[in-house]
Amino acid sequence: MIDRLVGLICALLGAGAIWHAQTLHVPFAADPVGPRMFPTIIGGVLILGGCILMLRPGPVTMEFGTWPRALAVLVASLIYPLLLLPIGFIAATALLCFVAALAFHARPLPAAVSAVATAIVFFVLLDKLLDLPLPRGPLGI
Amino acid sequence: MDAFAALLSGFQVALTPLNLAVAFAGVALGTAIGALPGVGPINAVALLLPLCFALKLPPETALILLAGLYYGSGYGGRISSILLNIPGDPGLVMTTLDGYPLAKSGRGAAALAISGIGSFVGGTSAVILMTFLAVPLARLALSFGPADYVALMVLSFALLGTMSEGKAVKTWIAVALGLLFAMVGVDGGTGVERFTFGSLELLGGIDFTSLTIGLFAVAEILFLAEGMISGVVSRTGNGARLSFREIVYCLPAMLRATGLGFFLGVLPGTGASVASAMAYTAEKRISDKGTFGKGDMRGLAAPETADNAAQTGSMVPMLALGIPGSGTTAVMLGAFLMYSITPGPLLFTQRPEVAWGLIASMYIGNLMLLVLNLPLVGLFARLLLVPAWILYPGILALSYAGVYAVSNSAFELIITTGIGILAYILRKVGIPLIPLMLAFVLARLLEDNFRRALSLSDGGYEILFSTPTSIVLWLLAVVAIGLPLIRKPKLHPAVPVAEAGKPGA
Repeated sequence: MIDRLVGLICALLGAGAIWHAQTLHVPFAADPVGPRMFPTIIGGVLILGGCILMLRPGPVTMEFGTWPRALAVLVASLIYPLLLLPIGFIAATALLCFVAALAFHARPLPAAVSAVATAIVFFVLLDKLLDLPLPRGPLGI
Repeated sequence: MDAFAALLSGFQVALTPLNLAVAFAGVALGTAIGALPGVGPINAVALLLPLCFALKLPPETALILLAGLYYGSGYGGRISSILLNIPGDPGLVMTTLDGYPLAKSGRGAAALAISGIGSFVGGTSAVILMTFLAVPLARLALSFGPADYVALMVLSFALLGTMSEGKAVKTWIAVALGLLFAMVGVDGGTGVERFTFGSLELLGGIDFTSLTIGLFAVAEILFLAEGMISGVVSRTGNGARLSFREIVYCLPAMLRATGLGFFLGVLPGTGASVASAMAYTAEKRISDKGTFGKGDMRGLAAPETADNAAQTGSMVPMLALGIPGSGTTAVMLGAFLMYSITPGPLLFTQRPEVAWGLIASMYIGNLMLLVLNLPLVGLFARLLLVPAWILYPGILALSYAGVYAVSNSAFELIITTGIGILAYILRKVGIPLIPLMLAFVLARLLEDNFRRALSLSDGGYEILFSTPTSIVLWLLAVVAIGLPLIRKPKLHPAVPVAEAGKPGA
């Protein structure tokens, strides 16, 4: 069932790629092939592969562990870039590591300590020692 | 023999203080990262890749570092296999079969020692073979025209499909997706925007470092968070230490495994996991007297040797032909390309300091690894005691810090996470990530050669099949594509792997 769905998505993606390739406006003919041909072939392969998967699906066992933990890490990862510039590397990274540490079964206090430590260690290592500028945040640290 | 002279000049590059320090950092970090369960060579290389660019390391130094991480992780991986019975990546499943029983019987230290020696024999012999084979192979490829390259790349994709664990069609879908991702951005030939959907950020295409980190760091952490791999560290034990007689006893097995591993490594598409599986199976067939699987030294030495020989072997086609033999070498090829260096036949004449400096550094690196892994192995084993909730959040933070350092853009972090989500879904539905990575790296070369060939013939497709080399390569590709349809090669025995869907890491 999952294979059929994956196949369908791939086939649609392939069709989309071919359609997009045909809409490309080429100002001049630099070479006999142009930029359209290659995406068209790839789209063809995707459609073919998708159809094979739809017609001859194999058994896929989707195993999910404790997926809420992965989701927590994911949400923290998505918020991280939004916070990075406003609050600076150390605070944002400590927050990311704190959530991730909780997701990896840490208790709150050790998680907080290790998260802050990780953020400071990486800041010192990258910004101070290796001279790669990281966002400073409002406090200038 | 000019290989000696070239190698000597390579040592002059590799022995500069910076390159020595970087080689040491690479192999030590590689061993450490390789020792962590769930994190393999490709993750190690991906993690440090952005830092190489952000620090603006010279190309030979960056590659010495990345290569050190690669073969260093081949040494480190055995630690969790032997002590925890957890293979860190598919290439290490075989190491657990005889390694863990040895550790349980109290001979953990001996098991770590013999596998360390095996890794050294495999790694070093493969570097020696590489020293003498790379240039002849590159000379052979000098005569390759664009059409031959197109055929060669299609063949290496086809071999990926043959060797993958899942369905071959899913490998093909992964290849197509990788090629499609590489299409995003401005087309080099005509300046036309493709698949950018009007977005300014996508004009330059999907960034290679973001893709690598997304595929092999973010997705990996999501997987690890979801189902913790856990285990009990069995002590290194106080059983009998490794004796000299045992080393000699294992030597034939190691040499056989070196040959097999190197050969399989050089073949595009077959990585270390296939090599170690085949070396174990072959060794079992040759010398098993009912002791394999119960803690036979040779059953441990063979796959570990083959694993390292294959890793080094897979660097040969990457350097000499510009076609990577495994996922990790694909990442390294991408690193070459970001330095505007095209690996391939001309690398050895145009940038000898990069090519030979890298090869020379691998002699030094393997020696360093022997020292790091025999007396100091306990240090790395202690890494297994660091709790997951410190390690993995740290890896995640380092990934994002690296992407930010190289791009200076918070938007790039969102793209990286997006790629991570996609990679997570792809792995769940059984679409392998390595072929996707390989295709992404090769896409530009493939399209350029394709268009160059057709320019030569003014649009006639017969040029793709016009040389004897290309015809042979196309025929091999057809066989490789057809083979999985006829029968499924059973290279992987029924052993649970820590993470499926990562063939040839």
